[in-house]
Amino acid sequence: MTNYIIALFLGVGFGFALNKVGLTKYHKVANQFRFTDMTVLKFMMTALVVAAAGLYVFRGLGWITFPAVPATYIAGNLIGGLIFGVGMSLSGY
Amino acid sequence: MNRIKAFISQETWSPYVAGVLLGIVGLLAVLLSDALLGASGAFESLAGLVGKKVAPSLFSNTYWGVEGARALPIMRPEITWSVILLVGVVIGGFLGAQSSRTFKFRFNDDAQWKRIFGPQPWKRWVIGFAGAIILEYAAGIAGGCTSGLAISGGMLLAPAAFLFIGGMFVSGIITALIVYGRRY
Repeated sequence: MTNYIIALFLGVGFGFALNKVGLTKYHKVANQFRFTDMTVLKFMMTALVVAAAGLYVFRGLGWITFPAVPATYIAGNLIGGLIFGVGMSLSGY
Repeated sequence: MNRIKAFISQETWSPYVAGVLLGIVGLLAVLLSDALLGASGAFESLAGLVGKKVAPSLFSNTYWGVEGARALPIMRPEITWSVILLVGVVIGGFLGAQSSRTFKFRFNDDAQWKRIFGPQPWKRWVIGFAGAIILEYAAGIAGGCTSGLAISGGMLLAPAAFLFIGGMFVSGIITALIVYGRRY
């Protein structure tokens, strides 16, 4: 139950950030692929760097163990990404 | 205090600021719930949940699990942590729009979309729906979406995430080139 309440609150933070950065709008996502608006990359990479830095610090302090890392299967990840980009660029989601 | 209020009520934040917020959220997910943020998985769990009720034999497979089998399903067809997270995302998006007083029911009001595809709302719905099916299908193959694989995997420095981002940009750019043509 506690876990679900945590999920709800984290979801609110996630949705809030997405809204504030404007990724709920078609043109923000579509323009990333035209390189006229770099919001998606700036947002994604900042989140990635902050979280990665924090995770390694927390692991160093012994607060967490890493959760299961998403499996690497080169063909699947790559082909999945290749199909994904079509949908993302087309619909702007 | 007023400065904080003024900041929150801005319609758009710097992507770096919002990125830090998302990074902290992703970090807290691991710290508090030992979970990774993700969006696409929740839709798959919900689809499995509905599918198992409507067409149990069709949805009895390795992906959503077989009744009585020992092997764990790839996607659990139940209300998972991710599904609750998704509910939160919707609420968070609403609060974000409310805080800047920009919440409104919209059907098709993106100026750039109208320039490219025309003003008819049905086109937005059809292309949006088709695009979303492609997204979700691809996320199923790759093992996650922009949030579940690219960001959550990336913060664990998983090679899968960077393969996915590479593929996503290659086809995304090609698709944009086709859609925009000379206006690219």
